[in-house]
Amino acid sequence: MTDARPRPAFAHASEAELARILDFYEVGWEYEPHTFPILFDRQGAVLESFSPDFYLPDLDLYVELTTLKQRLVRKKNRKLRRLRELYPGLRIKLLYARDFRALLLKYGRIALADALSGAVGQATPDRDAAGVLTAAGDGTSTAGARPRPVALPMASTPDPGASSPPAAPGDPAARADAAALRDPVAAPRAARRSSPTHPRRPRRTRSEARARAAARAAAVPATEEPT
Amino acid sequence: MTRTADLIADVAAVLLSEDQIQEKVAELGRRISADYAGRELTLVSVLKGSLPFMADLMRAITIPVQIDLMEVSSYGGTATESSGLVRILKDLSSSIDGHHVLIVEDIIDTGLTLNYLVRYLRGKNPASLRICTLLDKPARRLVEIPIDYRGFEIPDQFVIGYGLDYGERYRNLRFVGVLRPEVYTSPA
Repeated sequence: MTDARPRPAFAHASEAELARILDFYEVGWEYEPHTFPILFDRQGAVLESFSPDFYLPDLDLYVELTTLKQRLVRKKNRKLRRLRELYPGLRIKLLYARDFRALLLKYGRIALADALSGAVGQATPDRDAAGVLTAAGDGTSTAGARPRPVALPMASTPDPGASSPPAAPGDPAARADAAALRDPVAAPRAARRSSPTHPRRPRRTRSEARARAAARAAAVPATEEPT
Repeated sequence: MTRTADLIADVAAVLLSEDQIQEKVAELGRRISADYAGRELTLVSVLKGSLPFMADLMRAITIPVQIDLMEVSSYGGTATESSGLVRILKDLSSSIDGHHVLIVEDIIDTGLTLNYLVRYLRGKNPASLRICTLLDKPARRLVEIPIDYRGFEIPDQFVIGYGLDYGERYRNLRFVGVLRPEVYTSPA
């Protein structure tokens, strides 16, 4: 059951962990299979929608997992209330950070809780060519544009007891550690992104980019004019 | 080796005293005895947490009963990494085909383990299959399962004692207590 199907691209490491738990207990699940419009303009166009993280078809239950701190989940609570108002027959369970911690505690994995929670456990969102953030990762989207989950391969987690003391959240080292928990193969890449010994190439300014483009164009041999 | 005195020091509060538990077990025993009067009943206990409850409950039941024990792997245990699936570590010793079966659980929270067990045991064609739990923590429920005999509904706290453990400790406490958070949040 666990390996028979391709893994979806989870937006957050905690979602991947929950999927593993559901797999373990042979509870069927689908990842973000449905999107529910929750806000419309006067013409009926969808302004805001909500995509619960999981649907458990055998139980006819949606599960939304949020590992944000409690004080930051007000917006999500509001959207969930709206969802329940508009779709009263829908069965949905919201798992807060404390619920997820309790789940990990129950299974003796409390050491993972910090690495799989909040921003630390979040997959690095992609940016499109215009530099626009494309993955919301909170199960919500605006103007009908669904958040695009970022690839996060399933990986078995190393023994938490063997890990070094956790770095502070937001610390580059902590991000690299969290990436290693999620994907040991990709971890060196994350470490390169984060490591002060491998600084990223500084971004070019627009004028620098224009100058380089002009230089490239001048270096290209002239082609025949189209007829 | 941790001494009992240390175990008690790790308890933030006593949620259910020994007397409260024994009173409830006796009440459950009376109800089950009445409900199953004239029928052969098989109690199936799920190791390891329900062991004390099973021992007390079977003695509180006044009709003839058979007992059997099961143990399933828990997520996060040693079996997790190798198989990725729940495993029956100890199966039933005898057939339950045509038997009236009562699953005896220490606690139901997410319902994931019980959901798996119910499906597994239903596949063995019992005449009936019901559920008895000493503790019910509905705030944690993911899988809704009808509970036929419920001892106590408890708040959303990490509880230990009377069979319930944290890191295999505290099972031998005679009461149910709330574990101090610093026990599981402080580094080992």
